[in-house]
Amino acid sequence: MQKGPASPEIKAKILEYLAKVQKAKSRDVAVAIGEKKGDVDNAVKELTAEDLVEYLYITTTYICLKGKVQTPNG
Amino acid sequence: MTEKKTPLLDELEKGKWPSFVTEIKRAAVKSAASAELLQVLERSYEERRGHWKHGGIVGVRGYGGGVIGRYVDEPETYPNIAEFHTVRINQPSGFFYNTKTLRTICDLWEKHGSGLTNMHGSTGDIILLGCKTEHIQPIFDDYSEAGFDLGGSGSCLRTTNCCVGPGRCEYACYDTLEACYNITNEFMDELHRPMWPYKSKIKFSGCANDCTGAIARSDISVIGTWRDTIRIDQDAVKEYAANKFPIQSQVCDKCPTGCLTYNNETQELAVIAEDCTRCHHCINLMPKAIQAGKEKGATILVGGKSTIVQSAFMSSVVIPFMKMDVEDDFEEFKDTVRRIWEWWDENGKTRERIGETIFRLGMGKFLREAEIPIVPQQVFRPRANPYVFWAQEDLDKSGTALDGTAL
Amino acid sequence: MAAKLDQGPPNYKEMLPPIILDNYGKWKYHEIPRSGVLKHVSESGAALFSVRVATPRLVSIDFIRDVCALADEFCDGFLRWTTRNNIEFLLSDEAKVNPLIETLVAKGFAVGGTGAAISNIIHTQGWVHCHTPATDASGVVKAVMDDLYEYFESMKLPAKLKMGLACCLNMCGSTHCSDIGIVGVHRTPPRIDHDKIRKGTEIPSLVASCPTGAIRPDPKNKSVVVNEEKCMYCGNCYTMSPAMEIYDARNDGIAILIGGKVSNARSAPSFSRMVIPFLPNNAPRWPEVTEAIRAILELWIANADKGERLGEWVERIGWERFFALSGLPFSDMLIDDYIFARETFRTGAAFKY
Ligand code: HEM
Ligand code: HEM
Ligand code: HEM
Ligand code: HEM
Ligand code: SF4
Ligand code: SF4
Ligand code: SF4
Ligand code: SF4
Repeated sequence: MQKGPASPEIKAKILEYLAKVQKAKSRDVAVAIGEKKGDVDNAVKELTAEDLVEYLYITTTYICLKGKVQTPNG
Repeated sequence: MTEKKTPLLDELEKGKWPSFVTEIKRAAVKSAASAELLQVLERSYEERRGHWKHGGIVGVRGYGGGVIGRYVDEPETYPNIAEFHTVRINQPSGFFYNTKTLRTICDLWEKHGSGLTNMHGSTGDIILLGCKTEHIQPIFDDYSEAGFDLGGSGSCLRTTNCCVGPGRCEYACYDTLEACYNITNEFMDELHRPMWPYKSKIKFSGCANDCTGAIARSDISVIGTWRDTIRIDQDAVKEYAANKFPIQSQVCDKCPTGCLTYNNETQELAVIAEDCTRCHHCINLMPKAIQAGKEKGATILVGGKSTIVQSAFMSSVVIPFMKMDVEDDFEEFKDTVRRIWEWWDENGKTRERIGETIFRLGMGKFLREAEIPIVPQQVFRPRANPYVFWAQEDLDKSGTALDGTAL
Repeated sequence: MAAKLDQGPPNYKEMLPPIILDNYGKWKYHEIPRSGVLKHVSESGAALFSVRVATPRLVSIDFIRDVCALADEFCDGFLRWTTRNNIEFLLSDEAKVNPLIETLVAKGFAVGGTGAAISNIIHTQGWVHCHTPATDASGVVKAVMDDLYEYFESMKLPAKLKMGLACCLNMCGSTHCSDIGIVGVHRTPPRIDHDKIRKGTEIPSLVASCPTGAIRPDPKNKSVVVNEEKCMYCGNCYTMSPAMEIYDARNDGIAILIGGKVSNARSAPSFSRMVIPFLPNNAPRWPEVTEAIRAILELWIANADKGERLGEWVERIGWERFFALSGLPFSDMLIDDYIFARETFRTGAAFKY
């Protein structure tokens, strides 16, 4: 529901946080970097379109840095 | 591929019911992957176990779902299905097709994948069954150009689905096809970019027969109904009587509220309007004589889900009657689901469907915080225990401290 | 060309035949002139005929193309699927209905599934494509529907009968509210491959994946342990890590649940209830499953009132009577011991034998 361009600072903070973990729920990212979840979701939308972050579905959806998590036969 | 024998699967080509084995064999003529699928499946039949693994990232740029990763457990033996992913394509409302559209789906899938499909997956999508990772982006690009979009997977709004509705059913109390189409388009972010604790589904059924199984199969179930009284055409009742239709035993005796009476003399039906629960039984049996009322809309129910984790839940009534008007763009519905999702996103634990969140935190809290009016239609009966969590700030706390002073 | 994001599904309006565009929302009533055919009549008097045929759900593109050829010949190129994976050919010309049916029958299509009949069985992926199945889906459906075919092509049941099959406890299929539900069940906890876990599994995620909290980290081994008493064999851990094998060929099999419904007509929607906790996975034809289902079906046919769904009949006579009549063994496995068990206990002293 948060429309319009995302804040560059939030995007940078997300990338920094994701560099430290394997994968995370966007809620946990929001708590960790102290931003509103809606703003984080909006920033993630842009980061995935820029090919920097991707979604990972294992029992629930996580986000991670692009290419960080391997596929089973990969 | 060399010809390999599949004696167990061949048994499933016998008999009158259409055979999925025949279908895999047809696909195998053109696709080495489908031919290997046949071999793996024959092994599953011998060993009585599956041979698939899940996991990893497969997706398209900009989306968080629509593709499900699938890998065979012995990639060396079955190189063509080492990767054999599922692509979910969002179906048109009501599963209506023209043949041109269907042929496009087939041609693109012949180019990129196994040639096997599910028409349709349980949630509603067109399921393209089996492709390699490197094909996923091109598949999406091609289907997108042909006017299709991906469905949902992961912790998102899953592909919405509806019954045939006004397209072909006289019972439809609102336009299910348009509601499904319009509302899907409204929630593209929610569908394509998973951001919630877990998945959420919406199903649209036009009447209480609930042909999409919305009450059992969706978190948000939209079931058509009316607010006023059923309409009875007495001339048509007389026709049923003339045809010896058992009105008393099949219709009135089975009316759950006993509010429908038949006068054998005058051959007329009468209803006690305020006792009818709009269960739809009499309309089902006498569609030519009985119709829904004029003030039509839908009941909104919330919380349905399957057994994982805390048992299956059915949706329960949240809003007894809501207009579902095309003219105002379903605004009331959209506002309401936004509030409902926001509450769940705020309060739900990871992998908790909204029904479970409500069960854990309380229906009263949910209704209050999502700003939904509280009415007796939401429950079968009120509570039997006196353990009300009173809102302390609403009480008179003056003079209640032990020493008699105000708190 | 790069994909367009968020364009949404194709517009259904482009998929509707002229007769539906003309009579949209104006349908007055419908009849079932014969099994497999629905006749919908509009206020304008126009009549739309839908001819219903079964599909195995898992179909090849050549099957879809065959169906398109028939739709072009008889239906001006318009057709639809139903929620239960049937195809409906949409005809505005009554004269073409019988020729279409003759062609369909000649080509081996199954015409039926309307009214007081068995419709297609909603089902899932099974051994064909899922990672946690306890049984196959398509094969069981094929075996059951071959056996009950007469009830698909006729309308001689007391009421309609809807079946669902899910191949594991996740129950992707609609079994929980079906007249008859077939559910694949695992019965043993996952077997842990500690080497695989050490090589690549993120242990906190694996621990968190278990819905019952049965998995604990085992830091000494750099692996995990499973508390077998807590495990309900759901396979979620295998979804998280292939080191947690859940399949167990000797012990996987099928449970049968009956009596659910989703419609509100007469009685409230209701869940299916387990009546047979386990039947073996006797592939490729599952004879124990087909026999058990046929026996339940025939008991219902012999005893139900006209118009009475399976669950409505059982609720009327009482579940204890159902077990007496069916001869199915009743055991502690059928008494709920999960979260909402209490609401199934008999809190009264009135019952039958
Ligand atoms: C944690 C639990 C679950 C996991 C790990 C899971 C996993 C999966 C996977 C991997 C697939 C893809 C199967 C394939 O195409 O190969 C799938 C399909 C599906 N799942 Fe689930 N699932 C879970 C729970 C559920 C539940 C509770 C439901 C609904 C009641 C559900 C509904 C579906 C549906 C509708 C499909 C599409 C498959 C079809 O149409 O046959 N899933 N699930
Ligand atoms: C916090 C709540 C409650 C308290 C503190 C409470 C307390 C009591 C007490 C002190 C008695 C007298 C026992 C005796 O001396 O014989 C009693 C009896 C009774 N209470 Fe409650 N009660 C509560 C809630 C309820 C509720 C919710 C119900 C019914 C739904 C209920 C039904 C009864 C009945 C039927 C009796 C008579 C029992 C008998 O004669 O065996 N009570 N209760
Ligand atoms: C006498 C009562 C009923 C009547 C007259 C009735 C009428 C219809 C009609 C006209 C259709 C075709 C709609 C379409 O093409 O999608 C239909 C389909 C369907 N109905 Fe009903 N219905 C009745 C009761 C029920 C009940 C009680 C249920 C479920 C418990 C149910 C579940 C379905 C389902 C799942 C479909 C899809 C059919 C398929 O895919 O084969 N209906 N029903
Ligand atoms: C024989 C057993 C069952 C089978 C084969 C079965 C099958 C299915 C299928 C195919 C779906 C559709 C999922 C979708 O469209 O995404 C579904 C959904 C659902 N089923 Fe069942 N079901 C069974 C038993 C039950 C039981 C016993 C309950 C409840 C007590 C139940 C409750 C539900 C609910 C609430 C949904 C909607 C769930 C969701 O969307 O997550 N099912 N089931
Ligand atoms: S749910 Fe009601 S309106 Fe929709 S197709 Fe079924 S009977 Fe018709
Ligand atoms: S809709 Fe149901 S409750 Fe109302 S009159 Fe008809 S049968 Fe009775
Ligand atoms: S029911 Fe279980 S095994 Fe079957 S498709 Fe769903 S998750 Fe897979
Ligand atoms: S099978 Fe299910 S309950 Fe058992 S350990 Fe795995 S996740 Fe937990």
